[in-house]
Amino acid sequence: MTASSRRLFMTKAAVAYATAVFAPGVATLAWASQATPQEHHIEIKRFKFHPEKLEIKPGDTIIWTNRDIVPHTASATDKSWDTGKLKRGESKSILVTADMSVDYFCRYHPKMKASLNLIVKK
Amino acid sequence: MNIKAPLIAIGLALSLFQSTAHAQSPADLNDLEISHVAYTADNIDIRYAHLALAISQNPAIREFAATMIRDHTAVNEQALALLKKLGAQAQDNSLSQALQANSKKIIDEMSKLRGTEFDKYYAGNELAYHKAVNDLVENSFIPNIENAEVKSLFMAGLEIFKAHENHAATMVGKLK
Repeated sequence: MTASSRRLFMTKAAVAYATAVFAPGVATLAWASQATPQEHHIEIKRFKFHPEKLEIKPGDTIIWTNRDIVPHTASATDKSWDTGKLKRGESKSILVTADMSVDYFCRYHPKMKASLNLIVKK
Repeated sequence: MNIKAPLIAIGLALSLFQSTAHAQSPADLNDLEISHVAYTADNIDIRYAHLALAISQNPAIREFAATMIRDHTAVNEQALALLKKLGAQAQDNSLSQALQANSKKIIDEMSKLRGTEFDKYYAGNELAYHKAVNDLVENSFIPNIENAEVKSLFMAGLEIFKAHENHAATMVGKLK
């Protein structure tokens, strides 16, 4: 084996080693980032929830902020959770649970409706 | 009376601006006069709502009335804050005065009613009143407002009052 072919062999070996050692680590990191609780922001603007549909998972936090002049609420249709009155510029956060009710509306303006897409891993 | 009451309310509300022939034309009002009309219209609806809370036992009517107080108060607070920022004061005018005079007639009529008669009258009047005011704001006021911030507030207000009109229409439908 010449000096140059030895260097090539060593380089390939190093790449193979690095792939074998670190690739599972990368996968683990990716999985960890998916499992990390996330913060979601929903804006109430012009009598609508933005976004009107949102994917969430248990452990995440949802923060509603009212950008309208008039007060609003984000209230579960089955009354299981409620942000209470949100005046202009006010925010309220709610922690997502596995059994969280997903349909909600504004108690003051019942035509304002939205829903959450709750993903629960089994 | 029980059948005619809502019709009287609607008639009164729709004639609200027709009966102001002697008053200034909405298109002739300046920004401060327009602000006064809007502020007056907000306060009138707040008064109707307080009357509803005092008389009605219907949960849907009571919730709507509470929303009217909450929303129109918030809009008026915003309007006063803007006028303060601009260093201006709303100016009374004949259209505001005509609105006040008409509202007294409607309150007199509503005060005599109870139960379903009241609920139907109130809901019908809310629908007609919001329609009339929204038409005025959209077609006469907004095109003529000169100050950009005042115009922007009226546009935001119109969205709110259209939501109220929509809500009132649903309420009227459920009371039939």
